[in-house]
Amino acid sequence: MNFKSPFHWVLMILSSLVLLFVLAPLVGMVLHTSVGDLFETVKDQEVQDSIWLTLSVAFITTLFFAVGAVPLAWVMARHQFPGKRIVQGLIDLPIVLPHSAAGIAMLGFISRDGFLGKVASSVGLNLVGNPGGIALAMAFVSLSFMINSARDGFAAVPERLEKAALNMGASPFKMFLTISIPLSWRSIASGFIMMFARGMSEFGAIVIVAYHPMTAPVLIYERFNQFGLSYARPVSVIFILAALAVFVLLRMISVGRRSERSSLVKSDSNNA
Amino acid sequence: MLELKSITRRFGSFALDDLSFKVNRGEYFILLGRSGSGKSLTLELIAGIRKPEKGQVILNGTDITLLKMQKRKTGLVFQDFALFPHLTVYDNIAYPLKMKRTLKQDIYKMIDKIAAEVNIKHLLERKPDSLSGGEKQRVAVARTLVTSPDIILLDEPMASIDTPLRDDIRRLLRRINDGGMTILHVTHDYREAIRLADRVGVIHNGRIIQVGKPDEVFANPVNRFVARFAGIRNFFKVKIDVKDSENIATGRNDFRFLLPPGDYPQDAIIMIHSDKITLSQEPLKAKYNSAWGEITEINRSEFGYEAFINADEIFYVTFSEQLLNDLSLETGKMIGLSFNPDALKVI
Repeated sequence: MNFKSPFHWVLMILSSLVLLFVLAPLVGMVLHTSVGDLFETVKDQEVQDSIWLTLSVAFITTLFFAVGAVPLAWVMARHQFPGKRIVQGLIDLPIVLPHSAAGIAMLGFISRDGFLGKVASSVGLNLVGNPGGIALAMAFVSLSFMINSARDGFAAVPERLEKAALNMGASPFKMFLTISIPLSWRSIASGFIMMFARGMSEFGAIVIVAYHPMTAPVLIYERFNQFGLSYARPVSVIFILAALAVFVLLRMISVGRRSERSSLVKSDSNNA
Repeated sequence: MLELKSITRRFGSFALDDLSFKVNRGEYFILLGRSGSGKSLTLELIAGIRKPEKGQVILNGTDITLLKMQKRKTGLVFQDFALFPHLTVYDNIAYPLKMKRTLKQDIYKMIDKIAAEVNIKHLLERKPDSLSGGEKQRVAVARTLVTSPDIILLDEPMASIDTPLRDDIRRLLRRINDGGMTILHVTHDYREAIRLADRVGVIHNGRIIQVGKPDEVFANPVNRFVARFAGIRNFFKVKIDVKDSENIATGRNDFRFLLPPGDYPQDAIIMIHSDKITLSQEPLKAKYNSAWGEITEINRSEFGYEAFINADEIFYVTFSEQLLNDLSLETGKMIGLSFNPDALKVI
């Protein structure tokens, strides 16, 4: 970048301000937390349970819903059908809904009077105040990220590669598994991480569906309400560190596939 | 072997219209047409990627018009090869075999054999991204051949290959065809048709307008469109009169052509191959089929030189380097030209 031009100085100053805005509260929070408090909080069984609950439920939910979301993303990328825009609107809807409203809607759905609640209680399961309910609330608010990211990935796969696979005797299902998914792997993985992250950090919908067992965001809120800022801080820091560790791990797993993706993009641009 | 019967298929504003032709067993058939003439669409209909609205596709006596594409024994080689970028060359070629649940050791043997045949053994562990256009084409052909299709469909196989490598691919295709494989190849390049085809079909606006051996088609083009494919650029719009039992055609600026004996319509287009025109230093005194004109442009061409001569009509002439030197041909020079009535064709 040429820093002689005033424009580049303006760019640099504005960019730094934005980055500082993101970084400052986080750094402030870490600096205001003593190492002793951190150790104390790490040992707190309630904190450990909530973080484990949050990460595991978010992960399993994402994995479970991917089974349906990825094929839907492929349909959205490849097929034209009447009402496609409405379907896309439906997919995007949870992004724009206030999350407390989403929680109320979900509560109605899974409470004993609701459709899913009735089905669940017929097998002796009460979804309200249950990890199952937490999973549904997480999925509701985060599914859009997975579908949209995977859809973009599928759309970037040249359609003729899928046609070539069919021409070589692959069934549509085999083609999907061996060509479409591997070639859009990075977008699917990125959607997976986005959905996981969104689900894990959800508070509004979960607090309505299941105050207990407490997910980490709910526990942070509760500590803040009962004991104040200085008690909520260490839990927040530990939760952020745990989440970061999981992200780094997931990114490392998906990065191995990056070279394949970039070769796809390259071969596509050669063909253009 | 392969027969298309009255295929009709609309595609936006374009349509294949009552398209019919036959490819015989073991034949190298080239479908020749401009881009947008419907050639690639025709291949897609045969391969089953698209379905026609009307008509039939018959392969080995069986109607495959509505058969799923994965059930057809048609091997389509895409213009841009469509190699799977995430798989090695070996896995690309193994792909169709795996789909047919071929045993692993059989796959190995088959790929070993085919890789030797198309000379890609040294590339098997590479990813498509690292291959040249010619290598990619070989891999794509191998991947199709390994399925033992009844017919290979080639979509512009030379289009994505550098010129020096094209000879190589041409030889490969010729060899595959000599081995008994039926090939349907679509292209916009008439030279490929001349070099490779047993028979050529010219497709224009979704219809086949001429079918035959390449030399027959290019020697006797049914219309101006086909003639253009053969690189013939000398077309003259004329009025034909019979005077003293001679057929005299009058073109632009009263230029007179003497035609060979025959019955001709009054308004016609006549053409002459660029290499049938003779050049001379002196003006010729002949009444017909000769002219005195100025060279407006000289360029190098594939087999020597080409020039445009303005002599009432504009003539396009091709000649050797020797003639260029012997007659000291250059832009602006006045030159005589003449041709035999037999060289003229009325279309």
